[in-house]
Amino acid sequence: MRALIVDDSRATRAVLRRLLHGLSFDGIAEAGDGRQALEELSANGPADVALVDWNMPVMDGLEFVSRVRSDTANDVMRIVMVTTEADADHMVSALEAGADEYAMKPFTAAVIRDKLALLGVV
Amino acid sequence: MQTTVPDLSTITNEIWTAMFGIGVEPADDGADHARGERVVTGVVQLTGDAEGAVTVQCSDRLARRATATMFAVDVTEVSDEDLSDCIGELANMTGGNVKSALDGHNELSLPSVTVGRDYEVTVRGSRVVQRRAFDAAGDTLVVTLLTRDRA
Repeated sequence: MRALIVDDSRATRAVLRRLLHGLSFDGIAEAGDGRQALEELSANGPADVALVDWNMPVMDGLEFVSRVRSDTANDVMRIVMVTTEADADHMVSALEAGADEYAMKPFTAAVIRDKLALLGVV
Repeated sequence: MQTTVPDLSTITNEIWTAMFGIGVEPADDGADHARGERVVTGVVQLTGDAEGAVTVQCSDRLARRATATMFAVDVTEVSDEDLSDCIGELANMTGGNVKSALDGHNELSLPSVTVGRDYEVTVRGSRVVQRRAFDAAGDTLVVTLLTRDRA
């Protein structure tokens, strides 16, 4: 299984990377913003799942999700928003843009694992 | 102005327990860092129906312990860049959870981080509406919500 972590915090990327490694993901790519993430997809194709922060410089998570979903080549990639944006308006916007699941920061390993299980990627 | 006042104690405890495995205990509200102590401060600004900021201030030692946990390295291996990244993310999480508890539509800025000794963080035109001090495994942690009154 391959994963893409999109978060401007290297600390959070490090936590998620360890978590995914423990779930037997063997290819884990990272990006610090939405634009870098699009470049990663362009270079290496869609991952099985992307964990995406919302508030990032350059290109935020919502725009990234919208752009990903505008290309049918990425339909195979599940997207989990992992963010501090917890209000209903943000959740609805993300799901409408094409996110598949939503997890709040702070997260636990169990929460992320359960979200991935719901999507059938673990 | 918001009518809901977020519970900084609950928010802080949830974040520190989930991300660092460090439980935080309430300290006297007047508790603060010692004079001359190196302190790391993460700040996120709130804009929208509630204008203001959330600050997270911890001792350099506590900040390095938290950073070491997130990067899974020894405390001695924590760089200043790692430290800034971690405390910025911590401020982002705290601010995000505060924002969620506020009424109305609000946006959160990207975090900024300051490190130094004997400095004061102020946000122009704002006042402290809630300040909570904690004992985090022997170190002091202070979380503050400031709001700016509309003209």
